[in-house]
This record gives sequence, structure tokens and C-alpha cells, in this order.
Amino acid sequence: MSAPVRATRAPRTIVGLPMPRPAAVRQALLIGTLTLLIVLTLVPILFMFYSSLKSNSQILGSFWSLPSPPRWGNYGEAFDSIWRYVLNTILYAGGASLLVVALSAVSGYLFAKKAFPGKEFLFLMLLAMMMVPGILTLIPAFVWYEKLGLTNTPLAIIVAHAAGGQIFGTFLCRTSMEAVPSSLFEAARIDGAKELTVFARIVLPLSVPILATIFIMQTVGTYNDYVWPLLTIRDSDMQMIGVGLTQFTKQFGITDKGVQFAAYSISSLPLIVIFSLGMKYYIQGMVQGALKM
Amino acid sequence: MRKTWKLGWALIALCMLLAPARVWAQTAWNLEQGKSVTAMAMSPDGKLLAVASSDTHVYLFGADGKRIAAMKTGNVVTGVGFAGADRLLASSDDRNLYAFDLNGELLWKRDLKKRVEGVAPSADGTTAVVTIQNSSDLLLVDPADGSTLAKTSIGARAADVATAPGGGYIAVGGKDQNVYLLDGRGTLLFEAGMSGTIGSVAVSDEGRVAAGLTSSTVVLLDRDGSKLREIAVTDSVKDVDLTPDGETIGVADYAGHFYLISSAGKTIWQTQVPASATQLAFGAEGKTLYGGTENGGVYSYDVKNAIAGAQSEASKKRMMQAAAGAIALLLIAAALYLLKKYNRLSVLKRIWQAKWIYLSLSPAFILLIGFMYVPALSGLYHSLYEWNPGGRSTFVGLDNFRRILSDDYVGKGIVNLGILIVAGLLKAIVPPLFVAELIYHLKNKRLQYYFRTAFVTSMIVPAVALLLIWQNLYDPNIGLINRFLETVGLDGLVNSWLGDPKTAIWAVVFIGFPFVGILQLLVLYSGLIGIPDEWIEAAKMDGARLPRIIRSIHLPLLAGQFKFLIILTLIGVIQDFNAILIVTGGGPMDSTYVPALQMYYAATKFDELGYASALGVSMFFVILVITVVNMKFLRSSRE
Repeated sequence: MSAPVRATRAPRTIVGLPMPRPAAVRQALLIGTLTLLIVLTLVPILFMFYSSLKSNSQILGSFWSLPSPPRWGNYGEAFDSIWRYVLNTILYAGGASLLVVALSAVSGYLFAKKAFPGKEFLFLMLLAMMMVPGILTLIPAFVWYEKLGLTNTPLAIIVAHAAGGQIFGTFLCRTSMEAVPSSLFEAARIDGAKELTVFARIVLPLSVPILATIFIMQTVGTYNDYVWPLLTIRDSDMQMIGVGLTQFTKQFGITDKGVQFAAYSISSLPLIVIFSLGMKYYIQGMVQGALKM
Repeated sequence: MRKTWKLGWALIALCMLLAPARVWAQTAWNLEQGKSVTAMAMSPDGKLLAVASSDTHVYLFGADGKRIAAMKTGNVVTGVGFAGADRLLASSDDRNLYAFDLNGELLWKRDLKKRVEGVAPSADGTTAVVTIQNSSDLLLVDPADGSTLAKTSIGARAADVATAPGGGYIAVGGKDQNVYLLDGRGTLLFEAGMSGTIGSVAVSDEGRVAAGLTSSTVVLLDRDGSKLREIAVTDSVKDVDLTPDGETIGVADYAGHFYLISSAGKTIWQTQVPASATQLAFGAEGKTLYGGTENGGVYSYDVKNAIAGAQSEASKKRMMQAAAGAIALLLIAAALYLLKKYNRLSVLKRIWQAKWIYLSLSPAFILLIGFMYVPALSGLYHSLYEWNPGGRSTFVGLDNFRRILSDDYVGKGIVNLGILIVAGLLKAIVPPLFVAELIYHLKNKRLQYYFRTAFVTSMIVPAVALLLIWQNLYDPNIGLINRFLETVGLDGLVNSWLGDPKTAIWAVVFIGFPFVGILQLLVLYSGLIGIPDEWIEAAKMDGARLPRIIRSIHLPLLAGQFKFLIILTLIGVIQDFNAILIVTGGGPMDSTYVPALQMYYAATKFDELGYASALGVSMFFVILVITVVNMKFLRSSRE
């Protein structure tokens, strides 16, 4: 909390009025600067929302004035054209993230708590792929998926994100699960619990925070994907929101800027839901990932 | 022990001996212009080969590859064939049918008023079938003087015609996906439907018909039209031929393969040449096979030797497999022996005991290998190829990489990348550090939390949407930036930011102002709160003021974070082309190209997958070097 003001030590002006202490001025300055920076950072978002309620003539004619009357109809029109993309993206992101969580939990646990021949070699195989940038695999992966007949199917997105996401997920899970005392598992085993029970009843509950982190990071990652669906998905019915946003205006013949901005706003809704539920986990994931690399 | 090793070496040596046993493809000769071979025919006595080329000539070669004559027509030669022992006929896109003698002298030429699409004389010289553009008529022409013997219609346009060597049968591959067989006088014997587009037909003296389909299939039909065999090959069939007895089928496909296939449907022999195959022809009695390619290469194969070679190769392959199997067994035995010697046999037991662990890991590793390792290795491998998935890929060595050096778009891209990297590094460090310090110095913990959260909220808009919004902010007419400049009276600065090649790259750099990256902010902020308070207190006791504390305590202690952010930025900026693809597409002109974007375009717009892979591999190596240098640097700085 803020430091309590100690009146006795506050300097006074000659007339005896209390003058703000330098520390308080400095705090105010800090707050002012930060507020300015936040406003600047949010300008595009505010502008998006502001313009989403206007018609073309309102944008052209009265650029700075408030939308009057606000055209909420823009949202209806935008929703009609992009709901499919949003739904697809949620399904793909959800599917990929569940897969990543399942794979990471199992592999992470095994690498953390089990001893088996070749363990470190296999883990190294996993880590090595973390060093391989997406730019190397993008085109060959596209050709490979095409050969396997996976392009233009939801699997192209889900499999790619599951295969890529599990690497970092396993890495995070292993680190987190190594911190859990092994005695906990031993105790359960002595009580006669089967391996599966140990995993389901002890490992999973203890790993909820890290799994939530992985799930949310993966969902956000998949939701924001652009180039991969652009390459692999041809049917508009299966397309994801990122590509959809760049194409829907042409596809539906939309010339209203307001509708476009409304579509951008709608595409933010799933992210708002995710962040309001798990902002904490997302930040944890980012910082952890950053520090452990 | 030593004995085992000796045995092992002997086996390896055996393999080495067996290994270099192939290469049947001998280029017999090349057409000088490197133009596509459009038709080929062998003289009935097997001494002369006529090769038609898209360079308007028909070339006559001796069986030894010596050129005897070159005959010029007015346009691309579409068909060629020997009629009897003294002349050859050639059809040309210049609407004429030509007859030449075997010294290359013109005997006669006949104007058919339309493009002549093909000619197929019978080997005995009694007749020749001619097909004409846009006509379903077949013209039977007398090779002696070019006069029309008969005219017959099959009711469909022909993609290819063939005449049996004895002149007894005429086979037509129709553009309606039907194969027609006619007798020597043009009477229809049967028509048979195919499952795909017909590229080529051939007919034997017994009336056996082979049809090559673009759907990578060869169909063998009997005289009565019944289907004898259907044989799958690698790629779209460009040409088929039959030996006179109809027992062997020769096939040329788009991927550059030549096949010999027995009438039982078994591939007797195959080879691949480094160019798309367009034509093939059997020599006399089917003893020699000639193949032509789209770049003017003509190959000759001794069929008997080829088959024998293929057989010996197959037996060598079997021996190799046996040897490999033996080596594998030996290695296992050696491994077991070593394990036993060092008393480690228990490892097998442990592997067996851990079987459930391996089973549980297998989905993860199937995905890892199948969808991460395979593409990565395929990229490395195919960067050395002119890569045509599903077709012929030609090894080009480092050509793709040499091309990168001379690619102007890459050159421009590297300059732009330099700008983006410098800007990216500044953006990744300075504003986030500034904001992190500001938040860190807030006394009110709750305010700290609010401000952090407020910055993080900027992530609620999808990345693509944010880019599109920025694109709109830059709009010359309705964009926020120009409107703002006009409002504050700076009309002179109004610009078409993204449309002007001079400002476009800077406009891209400016996207995301004021550049308070969330990750960067959080990393630096958590670095700051990780600094022990006592150190700061001690510095304050010594009379250090804020700038001094930042310079001497904060910055050095954040070195790890800076290094991390620098490497992350470098790797990120090199790879990222989303923003440019969405906002400018590389333009205007080439002003915002980056190498990654050029890679994307090479793959998607120009289908140059090998070149795209080479670009990907180059960027991978740059990133690898950065990572390794950074790791070394990190380590040495810690020591």
C-alpha cells in the first residue's frame, strides 16, 4: 500500500500551505506517464470499437465525433459473415490444446518421475526440435501434409499444433512435476494404487496450474495462427479466423468499414473469455517459459 | 570377438562391392537446341532413328547416334514415322504433311489446310493414318504420293494414333476417353472406355492395344477390346509403345521414368532420367529402346541387357538385403555380447519392464517424428533439389543456395531485415524497460498490478485483427494517422504511408507503437522484482541516486533478461513475415520484402519448393548460429 503521509515531516511553504512532497509528485508523474502509454497502446483497440459503430459516411464525414446514432447493426452483419471462422477456430484450438495437454501431461510425468533406458536420449530428441525454427519446416511440412492428404481438413491444423505444442508442454510439465515429492507417489503405491490411479488421482490434480497454463498458451497460439491455415486450408467453410478476417470482406462483398471493425471486435471475444478466465496462467506461462529457456 | 569383427568387415566390404551397380541410363545424344522431343520413330530395319523436335526439325540418326540428316518443316513437328524402307512421313503444325527420303530430301508435301496433329504410317509403307486438328476424321494417306486413300470418322477427336507395323490395325486414343481399334482399311473393330484421359496408344501386329492414361496408368487391351491388364506407374503417362509381338510394353512417364512391362503386367525393368520423358520407341524386333525427353535428350537402352541388368540388380538387391539383415543380426549379437561382457544384460530386462512407459510415450513421439522431424529433414534434403513432389525431383547441388545470393528480392529483403532487426531490438528493450521501471517504482502495489494488467489487455485482439487495424490507421484518406496530422495542422506530413516505397518499411516498423511488448515487459519486470532489496538499500545508504542505481544495479543484473530478449527478437524477426504479408504483401514494388516472405512466395506463387526450402534452410542456419553464439556467450559471461 502507499506510504502513509507523515505530516510532521512534510515541507511547508512560507504561507504554511502543505506542498506536495517530491516523492508524491514523482508518483503522480509515474502514474501520468504510464496512463499516457497505456492509452497510446490501446489506441488501435479503442479506435476499432469506436469505428465499429459507425457507417462509412460517419467515418468519412465526422471522423472524430462519437458515433451518432451508433450502428449496432454492424455487429449483426459482421457476425453473420464470420461466425463460421470463429467457430472453426475455437474447435481447432480446443482440440489441439486438449491433445497438447494430454500428451504433455503423460510425457512430462514419465520424464519427470520414471527411470527407463534411453530416457535422456528421448528427451533430448524432444528438446532438439525446440531449436528448429518454424521457418525451416513450414514449406516441407505443407508438402508433407499434402502428400498425406491432410491439407484442407481440420486435422492439418490440429495435428500440426499438437505436434509442435507438445514439445514445450512436455518441457514445462517435466520441470513442474519434478518439483512434486516422489514420496507422494510412493505412498499411494504402497497403499495399492495402480499406476493409472496414481496418474489420475495424484499427478493430474497436482498439475492443474501447469496444465491450465499449457492449455491457455496453446489456445491463444492456435487462435492467432495465420500462415499455416492460409497454406493448408482452401475451403472457406473450414477456414480459421485469422485468414477469414483478411478474406471475408471480398467474399461477402462488404464495403462498410464499420462492419469490418465490428468483425475485428467479434473475433476478440473468445480471447477476452480466455484471458478473463486464465490471465494469471497465461502470464505465468509466458514468464516461466521465458525464464526457463 | 576379433573373429566377429572380421566377419562384420567382410560383410560391409561385400556391400560396398555391390553398391555401385546401376546406371543403365546412357545418354546417346542430345538435340542441340535442348528443345522437347515431340515424336520418335524407328525404321523397320532398326538402323535409323527419326526424332521430331519442337524446334521444327526432324532429325535422322544412325543407330550409333550419328546424325545423318536434318529436315526442316515450317513449325513444331507433331508426328513422324517410317513408311516402308525408303521414306519417312512427318506432320507439322504448319498444316503440311511431309515425306522425306532417307537422305533428308523432300519427296512431297501436302497442304491439309489445318494443323496436322499426328501421323502414323505402317511399317510396310502401304498406308499412313493422319489426324487433323479439330476433326474427328482419320485420313488414310498413301505414303507414295500423299493422296487420300480413305477417310473414316470415329466420332471423336483423336489424342493419339498408332499403326501396327504390318499395317493390319490402327489404334486411336480418343479425347473422349475411348480407345478405338480399326482394321487397316479403317473399319471400326471395337471401342473401349478408359477411366481417364488418354495420352498415348500403341498397337501390335496381333491387334493388342496399349493405352497410356494421364492418371498414371497403362491399360493393355486384347484384339476384341477386353481388358488384359491395368498397370500403375509413377506419373502421368506421356508415351507407350509395344514390341511387334505385343509381349513387352514400353512406357515413358512425366517423372522421367522409362519402363519395360511384360504383357503379364510385371515391370521387367525401369530407369529414371533427369528430365521429363516425352517419347519412346522400340527398335527393330524390340531389341533396343529409345527414349526422348522434354529437354532434347535421347537415350538408348539395350533391352536385353537392360532386362538382364535389372535382373542382376534385383538379385544384387536381394543379396544386399540379406547382407543388411545379416549385419543387423550381427550387430544385435555384438550388442548382446558387449552387454553380457560388461554385465549389463539387465538393460533388456529393464526395457521390457518399461514397455508401458514406451507405449505411453509413443503417441507423442509418433507426432514428433512424423510431423516435426520428417518435415525438418525433408527441408534440409530437398533444399538441394529442384523439388516437384509427386513427380521428378532433380538434384541440383547448391544451385538453390547460389540463386539466393543473386536473387534481387532476397538482397532487398536482407536490407529490410537489417532495418527490422535493429528496430526490433530497440523496440524489444527500450520501451518495455522504461515501462517496467515505471511500474517497479510505483509505491502502490495495487496500482502496479492494475498497470501490468492494463498493458496485458492489449492482447485481447487477435494478432491478424490488430495488423488489419494498423493497416487502416495508415490509410491515406480515412486513416487515423493522417486525420490526426490534419487536425493538428501538420498537413504537410500527410502521406500514403504504406503506399509510398520510401516510407512503407518504416510504416511497418512503426506498427505496434508505443511498442510495450507484453512478454518483454513481464520478463524485465519480473527480473526487476527479483533483485534483492538489500542491494538497493545498501546502494542508497552509500548515497546512490536513482540513475546510478539503475545504471549500476538494475542494468547489470538484468543482463540475462536482455540476452534472452535479444535472441528471442532476432529469431522472431528473421522468421516473421505475417505482418508484411498481411499489411503490404511485400510492396509497393519490392520495398517491404524480407527473405521469409520471398520463401513463402517462392513456394506458393511460383511453385519453386526446392528454392523455398533452401531459403528456409539458410534462415535456419543463421538462427542456429545466433543461438550457438548466444549460448557460448552466455556461458563465458557466467564463468
